[in-house]
Order: sequence, then C-alpha cells, then structure tokens
Amino acid sequence: MSEMIPRLVGQRVKRVEDPRLLTGRGEYVDDVHLPRMLHVALLRSSVAHARIVGIDTAAAAELPGVHLVVTADDLRDRVQPIVCDILPPGAWQTSAYPILADGKVRFVGEPVVAVVADSRYVAEDALEAIGVSYEELPPVMTVTAAEAGPETQVHEAWDEAWFTHKQLRVGDIDRVFAEAAGVTRRSVEVGRHTGMPLETRAIIADYNPSSNALTVHMTTQMPHIMRTGLADHLGMPEHQIRVISKDVGGGFGVKAELYPEDILVSHLATRLGRPVSWVEDRREHLLGTIHAREHFYELEAAWDESGRILAVRAEIRVDGGAYSVYPYSASMEPGMAMGVLTGMYDVPVYHADSWAIATNKTPLGPYRGVARPSACFAMERLMDAVAHDTGIDPLELRRRNLVRADQMPHTTPSGLEYDSGDFEATFRKAAEILDYDATREQQEELRGEGRYLGIGVGSYVEQTAHGAAEFVKRGLPVIFGYDTSRIRIDASGNVLVHPTSHSHGQGHETTIAQVVADALGIEIERIRVVYGDTQDVAYGSGTLGSRSMVMAGGAAHLAAVELRDRLVRIAAHNLEVDPGDLEVADGEVRVKGSPATAVAITEIARWAHHRPERIPSDLEPTLEVTSSYGAPPGTGAFSHAVHMALVEVDPALGTVQVLRYVVAEDCGRIVNPMIVDGQVTGGVAQGLGGALLEEIVHDAEGQPLTTSLLDYLWPTAHDVPFVEIGHLESLSPFTIGGIKGMGEGGAIAPGAVIAGAVEDAMRPLGGGFVRKVPLTPERVLNLLNVDPTGRVPESHEENQK
Amino acid sequence: MRVEINLNGKPFAADVEPRMLLSDFIRHEACLTGTHVGCEQGGCGACTIQVDGRAVRSCLLFAIQVDGSTVRTVEALSDERDGALHPLQEAFRECHGLQCGFCTPGFLMSLEPALASGPLDDEQAIRDAISGNICRCTGYAGIVDAVRHASNTIWNDPDIGTVDDLGSLGEDAPRSGAGDE
Ligand code: FES
Ligand code: FES
Repeated sequence: MSEMIPRLVGQRVKRVEDPRLLTGRGEYVDDVHLPRMLHVALLRSSVAHARIVGIDTAAAAELPGVHLVVTADDLRDRVQPIVCDILPPGAWQTSAYPILADGKVRFVGEPVVAVVADSRYVAEDALEAIGVSYEELPPVMTVTAAEAGPETQVHEAWDEAWFTHKQLRVGDIDRVFAEAAGVTRRSVEVGRHTGMPLETRAIIADYNPSSNALTVHMTTQMPHIMRTGLADHLGMPEHQIRVISKDVGGGFGVKAELYPEDILVSHLATRLGRPVSWVEDRREHLLGTIHAREHFYELEAAWDESGRILAVRAEIRVDGGAYSVYPYSASMEPGMAMGVLTGMYDVPVYHADSWAIATNKTPLGPYRGVARPSACFAMERLMDAVAHDTGIDPLELRRRNLVRADQMPHTTPSGLEYDSGDFEATFRKAAEILDYDATREQQEELRGEGRYLGIGVGSYVEQTAHGAAEFVKRGLPVIFGYDTSRIRIDASGNVLVHPTSHSHGQGHETTIAQVVADALGIEIERIRVVYGDTQDVAYGSGTLGSRSMVMAGGAAHLAAVELRDRLVRIAAHNLEVDPGDLEVADGEVRVKGSPATAVAITEIARWAHHRPERIPSDLEPTLEVTSSYGAPPGTGAFSHAVHMALVEVDPALGTVQVLRYVVAEDCGRIVNPMIVDGQVTGGVAQGLGGALLEEIVHDAEGQPLTTSLLDYLWPTAHDVPFVEIGHLESLSPFTIGGIKGMGEGGAIAPGAVIAGAVEDAMRPLGGGFVRKVPLTPERVLNLLNVDPTGRVPESHEENQK
Repeated sequence: MRVEINLNGKPFAADVEPRMLLSDFIRHEACLTGTHVGCEQGGCGACTIQVDGRAVRSCLLFAIQVDGSTVRTVEALSDERDGALHPLQEAFRECHGLQCGFCTPGFLMSLEPALASGPLDDEQAIRDAISGNICRCTGYAGIVDAVRHASNTIWNDPDIGTVDDLGSLGEDAPRSGAGDE
C-alpha cells in the first residue's frame, strides 16, 4: 500500500524557492557573467524640456576601453521608438518614446547617449567627456499648466494636453443633484511615487552570430510580451529571440514594461557581436523607471437624509508624464480609476470624465494596485467627507451604502460584474478585529491626556485576473486574455511545470506545485516549477493584475487533469478495467473501492516512454500537455477587503505612528495562507509608504529633488506594524477552484485609511480635511490651516502644495 | 592594485583598480553573487557582508580597504554546514521572512553577528536590529518572527515559545501589535 499524500491546496506549505534564495544561490540578471561581456552607461537628460542643439561624443569615443558611443543618429532606421496607442475607437493622441532622445528631451532622466565599454567604470568615465548642448524650453510640470495651453506642448503636434479623454454617463445626474438632501464636494490628490523594487532593472543581451540568435536576460515580469516587443522594435524575427528572466528582486508593476534600454542594449549586442550588460543604478531607477499614481480628483456626491449616496460626479486627471508606456498605454490609469471608483458602494447614478495628461516628467504606469489605490483614496475621502457633512459615524455611513450580499451578482454603473462577496460581513470582521467601539472609547480617553489617536477606514473591490473582456473594453493594444502552463511527466515519473506567469516574490514554485500535486495525487517534492524562459512554453501574458494563481495556476490545473486522464487510460488498459472505475491518489492509479489493485504513477510514466506496447493504440507516447486558461468570460474575479488603522499623531512634530493596522479580506479559495498573508502584509507596507513617506518631488524647472534614498524614503521595520489579518472566503463562480487574485490588494487602501485616521486624530485640534497623501509631517501640520471642506485660507495656499 | 583577502575561509586575490567597490569585487571578481546591490548609496543594506566579524555595507567600501581582512558572505552560512541551512536561514523559511529574496542575504549577514552575541527576542530590539536593512516585499512581519524563532533555536530559551506561538504568517494566531506598550 502506498503512503497517504495529503491534499495541499489550502495548506501552509513552506516555499520551495527559499533554500536557493537563502543561501545566495538565486540567479538574478546581474549574477549572469558571460565571457567578453561589455557594459553600458547612459547619459541622461539633465533638463526637463529642451531641443538638443548638438552632441559631441568625439572625446568619449577616444578613451581607452570604450568600444562604441551611440546617439539617436546612430539608431535611426535600425530600431523603432516605443509607440503604444489604444485600439480605436477612443479619443487618443499618440507619442513616440525614442530609444535615445531624438532632437528633443522631454523629462530629466531620458536617455540621450549610450557608451559601451570594457567596464561600467570606464563607461561612466566616458559619460563625463560627452558634451550635449540644449536649447531649453519652458517645462510643463503640472496638469494645470498643461491644460492651460503652455507655450510649448510636450508633443508639438498635439491639439490638446491629453493622451486620452474618456467619459462615462449613467443616469440623470442633474435631476438627482437637484433633488438631493445635500451635496458634498471635495478635491483630492495622490502624490507621485513608484514601485522601487529592491533590485533595479537590468538587462544582458547576448547575440550569437552562428545561430543568428539573440538571448536576452532581463528583469521582467512578462517574458513573452517582452519577446514580441523586442522583435517589433528591433525588426528581428521573434523566433530568433529568447527572453530569460529567472530570479527577479521584486517587480510590483514597474518591471512589466518595455523600456528604451531593453531595445538599446539588445541592439548594441547584435551590432557588436558581444554580450552587453546594463544594470540600472538607484538614481537612474528613480529617474528612468516608470513612476506611478499622481491622480487629481474633483468629486461631488449627492445624498439623502439617511446618508445614502444617490449620485457621484467625478473628474479624474492623471499626470501621465512624457510618453505612453508599452504595453498598457497612458489610458490604463485614468480608465481604470473611472471604472473602479465607486468600489463597494451602491451608487446608482454616476458621471465621470477622465484624462491622462502629458507633462515633462518620467512616464507613468502601473504599480501594485494600478489605479485602484488612487481611486480608493478618492472614494473613501469622499465618504469621510459625507460622514462629516451629515454627522454620521464614518463606519456606519459606509455600511448604509454597501452593495448588499443579496444584490450579488451586481453590475456597477461602470459595467463591472461583481461576482460574489458579503461586503457587510467583511466590514463586521474588520471592526471586530480592531474592536471598533472600544477603540473609539480609548481614543476619547487618551484625548483627555493630550494624546491624539485617530481611526481610519477604507475598503475596496479588487478586480483581479481580468482577461479578454476587460482588456478589450479598456482598448489596450495587447489583450492579456490568458496564461499558459506546460506540464511534462518524465520517464522517471517526475513532473516539470512551465507556467507563463513569472514569480518575483510571489512563490509560484510552491503554489503552482501545490495545485499540480493535488491534481496528480503525488508528492510536491516530485514537482519542479520553472518559469521565466520563453523557450520553455508557448505563450502567455506573464505576471500582472493579480492574475497568476487564477490564470497560470488554472492552466496548470487543466494540463495536470488532462495528464491524469492519460495516466488513468494507460492504467485501465493494463489492468483491463474501465477507466471510470479508477481513481488517482497517493502516487498511484487504483481501482475505486479495491485499492490493492493499483499501478504506481512512476510505473505508468515508464511505460509511456519505454514500453509503447503498454499504451492504448489511440494514445501517443510521452506525457506532455500544454493548456491555456483565461477564466472566461474574462471580466475578472472580484476580491475585496476592508482595512482599518489606529494611528497616533504628534501635533507638535506632525509625525504619524501607525499603532494598529487591520485587514479583513476575501480572496476566494486560498491556496497557501502563509503566502496570502505575506502578500497582504507586504502590500500594506508599500501602501503605508505611499501614505506617509514616499513622494517624487520636482522643482518648478522640472528637476527631480528625490534621486537618492536620502530623499525618497521607503518604509523601514519601524514604519510597519504587524498587520492583523482576518479572512473570509467567497468563491468566484468564474474561476477554477473559486480562486481569486490578491497580490495587489494590500497596497490599495492604506492611503485612504491613513488619511482618514490622521484627519480623525487632528479634528479636536481644529484640523481640516486631508486632501493629499503622502502625509509628510509638513502636510500634517498644515491641516491646522485647512477647513473641514478642504478649503485653504489664501495666505496658506503655498503651504498646501 | 593587488587585494588579498580570506574569503569564506579560503584565500582570494585579484588585481583591481583602487576605485573598485568591495561589492563589485565580491560579485564580479570573486563571482560570489549572493551579495546583492540595491542602491550603491548605503541606503538599503542589501550588500551587507562581514569584514573581520563585523557587518558592513560592501557598497560603501573600496576593495583595497579590506586588503588582508577576513571577509564572510552569505554563501558561508550554509557552506560551513555542508550545505545545511543555518538556524537563521531555517527560521526565515519557516516564518516566510522572504519573498523575492533580494534583500535576504543582507538581512542574514546583519543579523548573524547580532544573534551570536545574545538572545534577540524583544520586538522593538529586533526592529532596531533590522532598521538599517530595507525589505520592499515582506512588510517585515515574517522577518521579525524569524529573528525571534532563530533566537529561540540558537539560545534555546523556553520562554520564547515555538514558531506557532509567534503567530507566523498564515497561522490564525494572535500577534502583538507594534503599538502595544
Ligand atoms: S547596496 Fe549597499 S546599502 Fe544599498
Ligand atoms: S524579499 Fe524582496 S526585498 Fe525583501
């Protein structure tokens, strides 16, 4: 009799990838050492907006150890600029992100000249010897300036300041506003910050002239999409390109784009016939890797006497920076913000306008949560404002406005199909963990002692694992409609799984193996999950949008089930029984109810490879299946969560201490609770960074003031408390196993929650409405100059910036 | 210039330019890539190694400054145990103290000498000990748990409890909040 093998989905399985990473045996891009490898350094624009008058590279090219110096002139007709337009229809203006700045620079940090040398040290020396003369243009540094019609547009050919403008009109809003008991209006904004994985971007391109093949090691979350992007921009057949992305030190969305450096370094390797490496330094990362957030909202809510929201009107502006990023386009942020704004609340009438506006800043794109953290911030600020204006407790006001469980499935005014969930239960759970009423009492008591505590509440519905239907709706040029997994059982009965998802901390080597182990009834130790090499598996989207467990995990499940059926058919053939009488468990295929009649899977695997006479004649030898899965209809699986925090503000210093942070969340079936909690906690930490510490700041000339870790502050161990997590489990009707995505969720609500908590803490001191995060000490102190509706007395306006 | 060091118990020497950073020397001359570089600004701690028993940031030193020294990198932790994990490494795995793993070698090399000098089980003391290392993935909960767990294992202190009592991620156990006083 075989050993019992426990089912693993739902278990706290320790991570398979850990021993490698713990012993320093990970393989990140910069760990790859190739013979004859050369190194690239980039001269980046030192000004925000200028025409390039001349570039003198002669002295640099002469330096010993320098192999090549290139400018836009040397790239013309050899590589294509990055253009990422939305699919028609839709109001859209195009931009071309040059591989090296061509005639004009549009943000500080834009690559202008590349030097290839024997070492990075020599290449950086050579940068010093390059002279670039600029004719400076007035920089367009804010959306307001852009909309005012600047002297010089960021893109000369444009008629308007925006990449895109979208509208949504549901219901007769004028009538509702006219008849409402009251109307609440606020302006809010979320500052610019970025993903900042601990590993910066890196790329090593290796061209083999013999096979005419280009191998590109790169820090990417989506190897296949990058392969296509490289082929298109290099003008090289895709079957000659192989992208490898093994260990990646965090991605969070900022490693899910095609960047000019990717095309440049690949081109240089091809041109020189030698491996070429570029590793971004932290300053370059803060300048040249996409930024995120920077949303501006004008909001109006109409409500009745009981505080029920009758209608919401929103204008959403996103500072999109200089160029539309590949493969999302500049339309993803504003479009998604407009779509998800109403969150858990039942808002029957909703009008919105959204724009992505071009400025002379680093291009903007997705970072954990994408548009959701900003939209959640806006909506929850509006709810807190309505609570203030109606005098209803903020938690109670939210409860009154929730989409109820008996309304599921629920279609939002923007057309999202909420599939499942009991939002009220999740609110109750969070309030229970925090002990809301007792905490309110504690707050009251401590006020008497001159201590200022505040409670904040935030909630969101997280569209995850969205596929074809959603991305078609968004008009993206690449529709992330599916992922793929290839599974092979070898002659020894061991299993190799190649998913198209990419893991850069999420633990797919463990969780996907858990799914496959259960489907095949074998030990996890016999399963190896290898991702990140385009040569291993057909094609898929990669890791973005909290999709991997649903999509690549679902595909792995489908492939494993098909393999299981083949194992059963081979066993049935040899046992001379009906396949329907067999079951697969504990590493064997056996007769139901008569477990002694069994064949080990290792035995069947051997037959499938070495004993063709034992295989039914209508089955092919070998055991390999590739499956794709897109969670049809592709509208997404909706997770949701309620976050609450208790903070203490020091009104003398403006500092904020997060005393407690609570998350009650529902992400459907949980595959590995340890990993889910880790993702929640990590997301909250990043959200707290955006709420309190992290901000990319420019001066009026467009110079970024936050280019080192002294100016751009990440949360340390002192800034993040233990996150107290509670789980609910409502299964998605649309996905295999009812699994929903959850990788981004933790990062969505902290901005909203901390803003509410700080405002709550400062109220007794006369503090006003919090309109912007991050809440730096300066902004906290300035709350004393703001009134409850967010208006700033004129003399203080400067301080509110 | 010639730099000769004892690297993880073995002699290692190379001729380098005086300006070569110690982090580059270890990663690209000695090809020990377990030591990571997250900033080269002294701001993240990913590059932490031990020089003559003290944890230092290798991106803030030139290779020539450690000529003649004994240098230990993350690879030594398990190499010295014939490939078995050090209790600190075990604890990181048990408590989910790592996700992408890029920060992990720096944390391990900072913490190992700290733990060797005495138990480290108080939450604030642990947070102080790791405050010079940035982890962008975990939110530090698993790391704090891991340090307590490792301290328990190394110092065999029954008061600290088992990992389950510590409420590691994924266990529905209560845990103390940072605000508890
Ligand atoms: S790389 Fe040395 S401190 Fe960041
Ligand atoms: S595990 Fe990714 S930075 Fe710490």
